[in-house]
Amino acid sequence: MPIITVYINGQKILTESGVTILEVCKANNIPMLTLCHLKGLHDIGACRLCLVEIEGVNRLLSGCTTQVADNMIIRTDTDRIKRYQRITVELFFAERNHVCAVCVANGNCELQQAGYAVGLDHIRYPFLYPECNVDTSHPWFVMDHNRCIMCTRCVRVCTQVEGAGNWGVMNRGHDVRIISDFNTPWGESITCTDCGKCVHACPTGAIWPKAVAQGQLTKYPEMIGELVEKRKLLQ
Amino acid sequence: MDKPAAKKILISPVTRIEGHAKITIALKDNGEVDQAQFHVNEFRGFEKFCEGRMYTEMPTITPRICGICPVSHTIASVKACEMIQGIQPTYTANLLRRLMHIGQNISSHALSFFHLSSPDFLLGYDSDPASRNIIGLAEKFPDVALKGIRLRKFGQEISERITGKKIHAMGIVPGGMSYPLTIDNQQALMQWIPEALDAVQTGIRIIKEFHAANADMINSFATSPTMYLGTVGPHGEHELYDGLLRFVDAEGNVLQDQLSLTRYLEFIAERAVEWSYLKYPYYKPLGIEKGIYRVGPLARLNVADRMKTPLAQAEFLQFRALGNGQPVHGTFFYHYARLIETLAGVEEAAMYLQDPEVTGTHLQTLGRWNNAIGIGASEAPRGTLFHHYETDDSGKLTMVNLLIATGQNNPSMNRSITDVARQYVHGADVAEGMLNRVESAIRCYDPCLSCSTHAMGKMPMQIDIVNAGGEVLLSLQR
Repeated sequence: MPIITVYINGQKILTESGVTILEVCKANNIPMLTLCHLKGLHDIGACRLCLVEIEGVNRLLSGCTTQVADNMIIRTDTDRIKRYQRITVELFFAERNHVCAVCVANGNCELQQAGYAVGLDHIRYPFLYPECNVDTSHPWFVMDHNRCIMCTRCVRVCTQVEGAGNWGVMNRGHDVRIISDFNTPWGESITCTDCGKCVHACPTGAIWPKAVAQGQLTKYPEMIGELVEKRKLLQ
Repeated sequence: MDKPAAKKILISPVTRIEGHAKITIALKDNGEVDQAQFHVNEFRGFEKFCEGRMYTEMPTITPRICGICPVSHTIASVKACEMIQGIQPTYTANLLRRLMHIGQNISSHALSFFHLSSPDFLLGYDSDPASRNIIGLAEKFPDVALKGIRLRKFGQEISERITGKKIHAMGIVPGGMSYPLTIDNQQALMQWIPEALDAVQTGIRIIKEFHAANADMINSFATSPTMYLGTVGPHGEHELYDGLLRFVDAEGNVLQDQLSLTRYLEFIAERAVEWSYLKYPYYKPLGIEKGIYRVGPLARLNVADRMKTPLAQAEFLQFRALGNGQPVHGTFFYHYARLIETLAGVEEAAMYLQDPEVTGTHLQTLGRWNNAIGIGASEAPRGTLFHHYETDDSGKLTMVNLLIATGQNNPSMNRSITDVARQYVHGADVAEGMLNRVESAIRCYDPCLSCSTHAMGKMPMQIDIVNAGGEVLLSLQR
């Protein structure tokens, strides 16, 4: 790959072409908020937290799905971006029923960390309080739709890494939901292999093992990327 | 002469209790008190919105019911979960849970006595309501106020030293504990014991001096006899964490002993009343009229045969002597009982802290869903607390019943304020200090109404006098 030059927050960076802005930022220790990104999975730009400003482009673009180009001038730290990030995180909290204090993932949650990162001290939007199912039908794991942010990391890890394709998405807008098979209880799925990768991939307390209590949940999402790299070595 | 109209006196909000409530005093045509009612005007709804959650989440959700007795809720909850799983906690976990439970009781009892009630004893029932609180106490009796505040701090520090959090302590989980007690923290807690003992003994001295100076008032203050419910150990000893239930009647006869808490529904029934969000529980075999029972410190000392520690046992004997062989019915003696329990708590904390296993690391046994029903109980600062869960076969809750201590005292609180109102209120022209005495009858029970709100005597008191037709004749505000 040819080497190109980009400018991020005024910093001149030499990088390979064909990589995303997020990858360049990570390689150069430039902080960038993400939720739907997980190394090892295809990026989809769903969460809109990694928005960047690019000179000459009127709209904001997601850093995880935008490839760098030669002489691209990028900003990740403007007031506009920070304002949008804060709005986005507030909307995540307002959209479903997130109660950190009683959540199994309290202290170990990427949404909570994003809240701290944007300085979330209150939420300006009306809470929707949707009625969401808690699927406890699986013998080991729970799927709590109250805490789902629709990042689809579970869907992608199940399809792209495990190859099972148990998880999918149905409906649109506020009614959008993660489903197991054709919207059957998870415990009745004929495709789930009980591998638990979705538990580790989930950034919040939406998918968790039944055996753990609050304060005991440990997730290892990096395992997904490591697994993908190891498989490449075997091929 | 025209007949005086029937009137109603409303005390709203009731001050220096945990939560929001009001009292209505209904007057007869001749101006004397007909009856008084204690209304709880908060609705929490935990039983309903917990349905559909996994039972394992309950030990995390239910402590949020209360910022004062969260450990009691957690313990009742984990016991219900352990019944569902069919497991027992480890020895070390039991020690740590006992310590946290004692710490919470010390903290709650110190709050009740020093912060909320002692201003009445030391500053006077008729003193200025604006300074009849812990701040006013700190100005006139800084030594006492400081001891009370420090005692409460000790109680909360036990949880903090074990789990890192003072309130809504995490770490008590089905099967045991998540966190161990380090040797450094064990030693730090041991250093508190002499100071804590001194603070409790100061409180006991204050209450005894008040008893001696106000014997007539105390011996006639809301003394209607009731039954009592409490938890006792296998030898009838006073017990807060583990144990079985005991009911005694108003004469002190043991009606039920070593009763499994899973049978609580056979003996306790509840009835809703239209004027309060608090239900009316009663001892089922005797019905709602005769089955009024009390829980909490007074009840626990009335049902127990002995205390586990020497200083508390010496006070316990003096306490029981007040009843001349029968239960002590005087509602005012809740304060004395509360302090005896605090003394026992400090002594027991020292005992458990010296157990070599308290810093052990075998903290949790593991289990999974095995039974559809789980019932757990603990002795919260205000009395016996029951958690009853029912689940489907995936562990999802289908029914939650939480029988809270303050709820069980509700019938007797109404009886007590009626007693006191009849004694002190004569006609609608009532002095503020008299109404404070009616409030103080409620304060004896240390009710926890919202289980999250801390009132400190700063709220305005509103008294409405209403005639039989609902017309407000007079409205007073403090």
